[in-house]
Amino acid sequence: MSLFTTLPSTLRTSYRHDMQLLDSGFVRFWAAAGLLGVVVLPLLLTNFWTGIANQAFIAIIGALALNLLMGTTGQISLGHAGFIAAGAFTAAALVTHFEAPLIVCLIAATIIGAILGVLVGLPALRLKGLYLAVSTLAAYFVIVVGLGQYQAAISYGAGFTMPPAGILGLTIESERTWFYVLLPIVLGVVLLNVNWLRSAYGRAWMAIHHRDISAESLGINAAAYKLLAFSASTALTCFSGALWAYHTGFVSVEAFDFHMLIQYLAMVIIGGLGSILGCILGAIFVVVLPHLISYATEAVPFLQGMGSQVFELQIGLFGVIMLAFLILEPRGLAGIWARVRFYFQLWPFKYRSWES
Amino acid sequence: MSLLLVILIQASFYALLGMGYVLIYRATRVLNLAHGDLMVFGAFLFFQTLVITGGNLPVSVVAGLAGAAVMGVLIYFGVMRPLAGYPVAVGVLATIALGIVLRSITTFIWSGQTRYPGEYLGPLGKPFELMAGLSISSIDVGIIVAAIIAMAGFPILLQRASIGVEMRGVAENALLAAQRGINIHSINALSWAAATLMATVAGIFFALKVRLGPDIWYVGLAGFAPALIGGMDSLKGITIGALIVAAAEVLASRYIAPQVAMAAPFLVLLVALWIRPWGIFGSREELERI
Repeated sequence: MSLFTTLPSTLRTSYRHDMQLLDSGFVRFWAAAGLLGVVVLPLLLTNFWTGIANQAFIAIIGALALNLLMGTTGQISLGHAGFIAAGAFTAAALVTHFEAPLIVCLIAATIIGAILGVLVGLPALRLKGLYLAVSTLAAYFVIVVGLGQYQAAISYGAGFTMPPAGILGLTIESERTWFYVLLPIVLGVVLLNVNWLRSAYGRAWMAIHHRDISAESLGINAAAYKLLAFSASTALTCFSGALWAYHTGFVSVEAFDFHMLIQYLAMVIIGGLGSILGCILGAIFVVVLPHLISYATEAVPFLQGMGSQVFELQIGLFGVIMLAFLILEPRGLAGIWARVRFYFQLWPFKYRSWES
Repeated sequence: MSLLLVILIQASFYALLGMGYVLIYRATRVLNLAHGDLMVFGAFLFFQTLVITGGNLPVSVVAGLAGAAVMGVLIYFGVMRPLAGYPVAVGVLATIALGIVLRSITTFIWSGQTRYPGEYLGPLGKPFELMAGLSISSIDVGIIVAAIIAMAGFPILLQRASIGVEMRGVAENALLAAQRGINIHSINALSWAAATLMATVAGIFFALKVRLGPDIWYVGLAGFAPALIGGMDSLKGITIGALIVAAAEVLASRYIAPQVAMAAPFLVLLVALWIRPWGIFGSREELERI
């Protein structure tokens, strides 16, 4: 049940070995190589693409938070962009009114998110499936309109400019610095999620996902764990929202439109609901795809000079890809990855008789 | 008095919108969040015919409605049928994806600019005085009449016509209905066609009354609030739901701020979901507490 495990459970001989995240030399080697590859990445990329990598980092945190709710606990949430907005506005408000530093903003956004999660999660105690989805969507509209009112009152609708982020006395100016600040944060969040999933919390959430009544009868306090899932997810979302605010440098309610909502849904669906690896792949895919499309359209003469329409096509393409994954590959990119890995693990055979 | 009239008009509009949600939900248990985009698409078909025919209103309305119905059938067989049997959440997500595909197609074909088809109405578009100090436009009369026809017509159709009985049968128990020789897929496709048709009716009215542009999908999306408040599987519930939502919206717009009015339907919905999740007339068997 971990991200990188390759050994079948029959070959793990002790509890300690069973709990190791990187359980074989092969995995340790490739994890180190992968990490090294990511660390040197900004040296190879241009400033522009490093910025995109940073956006992907922030998106990964947001996608993991959404996945915690939708993929793990099975509580559908259509209010994600609203929670990101809440985090970003918490940071913006603290900066505007109190000139608070980055750390304070991040902590405050996380706390506000946890509280907001409980509020939004309360209906989940009574509502299921469709009705819950609708109540989170309604919450999204209420949050965004409320923040819009706040923005109109404080900044006369113009939005908030964020100061450069400072951490431990140094100012984060360049995209490259951002990259090295965000990388450990993202690694930490991924590790947090991995550990959540293989602890009692994760097992309780997954039990609720499969069938909440049987989870309840197994002694899991379904209501408390649902609220906890909402709270943890929204706290993480608001955290990513505050990061987003600092990285973008400008907070305005227009950024948190329906399109952002769809992007995050697309990340978890394309990546594969319930899979941490899927969230990472999905977030990278969704962040990078528009840029690849704009490169492609520059190469195709037919599409040149259709700027805004190409943007519309991009959004439509997200929809088409989402539909394709929903219909054809519900397990997402993570499912494709698992199949490819399985194929090479077994090669030259096609099936194995032990451990499914 | 004029405030009441505004609420009545708005409620009729919401009733037309909410009808589409209920029709699809009854038949296929899917909350169609693409409804707003279907509304825009149908309204643009209407507008395009209006431009081509140089303002021939009846022909344009028929073309818009026919195109929308075809679209509804295509969507059912292309997207929703392959997803039959998946969890509810998947259906909702699929309609969201469908919505943005439709929106992008609409914007790509007709561009994002705002149109005012009301100009084609000529003298028809001018408001006339109902009684002293109370005037109403023919479009508003049309909205109210259409809503009344729909609210009265669909129950009769469902009770009396054989196709209506088949629709009820499929809504009640699709498997049994199929066993009895009802072609559930054609019935479901018909429900989708009827729903997109209703969306287009609402879209045409909104386009004639206010404006037409890809951004008005938001208006259509707000229609799920009355449907849910009334009860997703109840046609008569929509009337009450629409009245509540319309009243909240109009009053918020009048006494608080126009921006707040945008959130009013959703705020009312949140409260309603908290108090009575299954809606005023909805069947409550599906909701279980834990």
